[in-house]
Formats: sequence, structure tokens, C-alpha cells
Amino acid sequence: MSTETQQATLPQRPRTTSGKGTSFGRALGAEVRKFTTVPSSLILLLTTLVVMVGIGALAAWGIGSVTEMAGSDPEAAAAMGDQATLADTIAPSGIMLAQLIVGSLAVLVMSSEFTTGMARATFAAVPKRFPVVLAKATLVAVIAFVVTVVSTLVSAVVIMPILSNYSLDQDFASDVFQRNLWFGAAYVAVVALIGMALGGLLRNSAGAIVTLVGLIFVLPMVLSFFANDFITDAKRFLPDAAYANLIAATPPDGGLEHWQAGLTLGLWAVIPLLVTVFVIQRRDV
Amino acid sequence: MVRSVERMIQATSLAKNYGTKRAVDDVSFTVQPGKVTGFLGPNGAGKSTTMRMIMGLDRPSSGDVTVNGKRYAEHGAPIREVGALLEAKAVHKSRSARNHLRVLAATHGIPNSRVDEVIEITGLAPVARKRVGGFSLGMGQRLGIAAALLGDPHTLILDEPVNGLDPEGVLWVRNMAKGLAAEGRTVFLSSHLMSEMSLTADHLIVIGRGRLLADAPMADVLSGAGAARTRVRTDAPDELVRALAAPEVSITTTGPDTLEIQGAAPRDIARRALDARVLVFELTPLQASLEDVYMDMTRDEVEYHSGPVAGAEAPLESGRRASK
Repeated sequence: MSTETQQATLPQRPRTTSGKGTSFGRALGAEVRKFTTVPSSLILLLTTLVVMVGIGALAAWGIGSVTEMAGSDPEAAAAMGDQATLADTIAPSGIMLAQLIVGSLAVLVMSSEFTTGMARATFAAVPKRFPVVLAKATLVAVIAFVVTVVSTLVSAVVIMPILSNYSLDQDFASDVFQRNLWFGAAYVAVVALIGMALGGLLRNSAGAIVTLVGLIFVLPMVLSFFANDFITDAKRFLPDAAYANLIAATPPDGGLEHWQAGLTLGLWAVIPLLVTVFVIQRRDV
Repeated sequence: MVRSVERMIQATSLAKNYGTKRAVDDVSFTVQPGKVTGFLGPNGAGKSTTMRMIMGLDRPSSGDVTVNGKRYAEHGAPIREVGALLEAKAVHKSRSARNHLRVLAATHGIPNSRVDEVIEITGLAPVARKRVGGFSLGMGQRLGIAAALLGDPHTLILDEPVNGLDPEGVLWVRNMAKGLAAEGRTVFLSSHLMSEMSLTADHLIVIGRGRLLADAPMADVLSGAGAARTRVRTDAPDELVRALAAPEVSITTTGPDTLEIQGAAPRDIARRALDARVLVFELTPLQASLEDVYMDMTRDEVEYHSGPVAGAEAPLESGRRASK
């Protein structure tokens, strides 16, 4: 059978690969399906919610008791600072722990590809690779953001009766509450992106999680031992310092402006991601 | 058939270094459509590395490999062009087989109906909703093959597909590979099981220590395997040996009443036995098995030599040496 007769009987339809090939949207769809089809994802998200609500409730009770005692002691009351805004910062109290759970989940989203060998199948299906990394980044950022917003709001609702017990007033519409809610969620999303990037760079779950903890918890602590000007300056550019800056109604003296802190956090989201894309494109799977 | 010419795997001076170690060394070959091409080599010879380079997973240190005229990564819908089984059970353990396939299908917009189809074809239906972590090696292989078939690709690359399969599964893979080749597809499969390879493959590519040792039709490989041998059983082996003595004839004693003779045709052996009045009760022409050919070819290329095992391998080894 010659090509001519074949083409005569079966006129070739103009086929584009876009209909049957890979795309970012499809890579994202596959990543969402991956995420939802392993039980650990849901377990870690629920844990995040429980931790946020539990720590929020504990903090509400603790701060409530302290303010009650302070009520009879004007000196302590003065030391406590502004009580009106204090109540608005209680709901996301669990974020310091929650970020680690979400960050670890984000690490696993990437590192499990390599620890299970799934990466071979994944990158054989999408050999251009960067759509996979960008899809994972989108997924972990959105999930981290949403789970933090939801957990903060649930925590805020749960602690309402506790706070009213101590006649503390929580105002959802206040600038402080709103800052804590949205910047907290954005911060956790950035931590998740860093975690995912580390998972892709180290290809090892434990190593990436430990590195993430080191960056978020240990590094700021270690740096605070040094009184050096340069280190004090540099510390302001760590993710948690940028986050602390953003949730404060006014930036601290000598600190970064809000926009600078926002930019810092943005760079923490983008630079590790770009490095990971670059490395994953080049390394053998 | 202009189009089918393009539909093949073409490696050109392909090489891969890991540090100072050369895993694949200047290998060039073509895998043609319409037949099963076997890829043979000892452990560590570079088979899997070569296959990973074809699939764009490992970057060649030099050289190039294309599938259907393009590098694998340049295909817009790669798994519809090439299906690969590279490593069984390289799957997230807590995901079900069906969900694993659906994830891969999602990358190419392949419908769930096709997922169910390949589950049927590979016999995974009873375990499709179970965690892959609990699968046997054989089930893992079937899942890997299901993934390879998902995009109904024209080219299939299967690394050790029968590894861990039961006899029924081995037969199934053999028939599937032959069936796919008969449909005009390109089938490239590696195995270290000689007997299986000789039953399945039409064409052989053999590598050892990263270098190409052979690239020829199976029939040529087998017939080019040195002179044919004949097994003779007789009550008087010593007399027969004397009767057959000639410079071109080499004789190996493989048992108390069994000789293997090289350099004399069965007819000549029978005639000389008759002349010497020696009773012969078996006269069997031995075709060189793929295993023999392979062993000869890769003798110097095996990365990991085993020491001699007393007993088991001894007769074969001494026989081979004597016949050389």
C-alpha cells in the first residue's frame, strides 16, 4: 500500500497535538489527582486545622486569664499593651506549628516523586518537566493558602465564646485581624513553596523537612545570638521576620517597610522555585 | 510507506558517563517497527541507562537518540507515541492502581474509559482499587505494562517486563509483545532470560559494559554461533573417540556414556561408529542456544563475575573449554 492510496482513502485530518498532548492545565489536573488520591494529604490538612483551632483555643484561654488577672493590677495592664488589638491576633496563634505541617506536606508533594520512583512515570509523561514543577507549586501554594484561611476563620469562630467569657472583643473586620488572616495565609503559602522546592532539590523527604525547619525556626534563633550589625540587618530578610513585619499594623522602627517585607516574602516564594525548576530540568531522573 | 520509516528508535553514538565510569559507550542502533527487538546484556551493561536516555529521563553525555524522528521530550503527546515500563512498582505505594493510571491519563487528556480498558487488558481488574503497596512484583509489572499501553503508543519500551511474572504472565507478555509487533508497532524489550528472549524476539541487540556487541536478526545470531555440535550416547565412548579422532573434531565427555562432538556431521559420526562397530543409541544435533551465544559474546564483558560453583556449573564449563 503506497502512501498516496492511503491518503486518498483516508484523508488526513489536521491533527493538532494540543487536543491530545500535554499542557500546564493537564499537568495541574494530574497533580490535583495525585494529591487527592493519597490519604496522607487529607490527614495532614485535617491535622493543620485541628492544630490551628486547638492552639487558638489555648491561646484565647491563656490570654484571657492573664488579662483577667491584669484587670485588677493596673501595672500589669499597662505592660500587656493594647488589649483591643491583642484579641484580634489570637485566632492564627497556631500558625507557627501549622506552617511546619503544611510545609512538610509540600515537601512530600515533590520528594515522594523521587522516593517512590513515581518521578520516572511523571517525567516520562511530561518530559518538558517544568509544567510539572509549576503545577505542583500552584497546587501547594493554593492549598496552603486556603487551609490557613479556613483554619484561622474556624479558630476565630471557636474562640469567640472563650474570649467573650473574659470580655475580650474580637473584631473580624479590624485591620489587625485582616492582616493576620491574609498575610498569615500568604506566609504559609510561601513556606509551602520553599518546602516543595527543597523537596525537589534534595529528593529526600526527611532531609528537606529538616532543612525547612532549620530555615524557619533554627536559623532565626542562631542568628539572634550574634549582635553583629550585618546579621541583624540580614535577619529582617528571613521569611518569618518578613511575616512578622507584615502582620504588624505599623512596621517596627528600623525595620523594613511593609512593601519591602512583602517583596521579601515574594522573593522567598519565587527564587527557590526557579532554582528547583532549573535543577529538575537538568538532572537525570 | 514513507511514514513508517520514521517510526523507529534511532540511537546515534549514544554515551553516558557516571563520574568516571562509562555506562554506555558510543552505542548506535536502530529499532525497527513491525518486530520485537530484544535488548540483551549482563547486569550493569547499560540496558536500563540506554532505555532511560531514550525516554528523556537521563541526559546522554554525548550522542543522540530519537523516537519516530524526534527526541522523546520534543513530542507534544509523548505517551501517545511511546509507552514505557522502566521499573515495576515505581508508584506511590498508598495510591490505588486505578488512580495511578488516571493520574498518568490526566496528563494527556486520556479518558477514564481507556484506563479501565488497560486494566482489563492487563488483568488488573480484581486489584485495581487496591493500594499498589500491597502488590506482588508480578502485579506491579502488570501495572507498569498497563501504564505503557495507556496512550495506545506506536512504540513500546519494556525493561525486564517478565521479571517477577508467573508462567501464565510470561506467556501473556510474550504474546502481547508479538501481537503488538504484528500490528506494525515498534517493540523494544530487555530481558536477561535467554530462553524467553529466544522465544519472543525477532531481532537482537546485545550490549556488554556499555558497548554494542551485536545487532542482528535472531536467526543470524543463532546460526553464527560457531560450529554445530552433536550429542552422542554410546556404550563404548572410548572406542568412539578413537574412531572419530581427527584434527578438526573436538570431543567433550559430558557423561559416562555421553559425548558432545564438534567438527563432524551427525551422518559422519554414524558412519564411523558403524565402521568401528560401536553401538550408538542417541545421536542428537544440538543447535547452539541463545544462552551459549550470549555467554560467548559477553564472556569478557560481564561486570560482575561469579566464582565457580563446585558441581553445578562444572560440567558445562569444562565442556565449553574442551570444545574451544
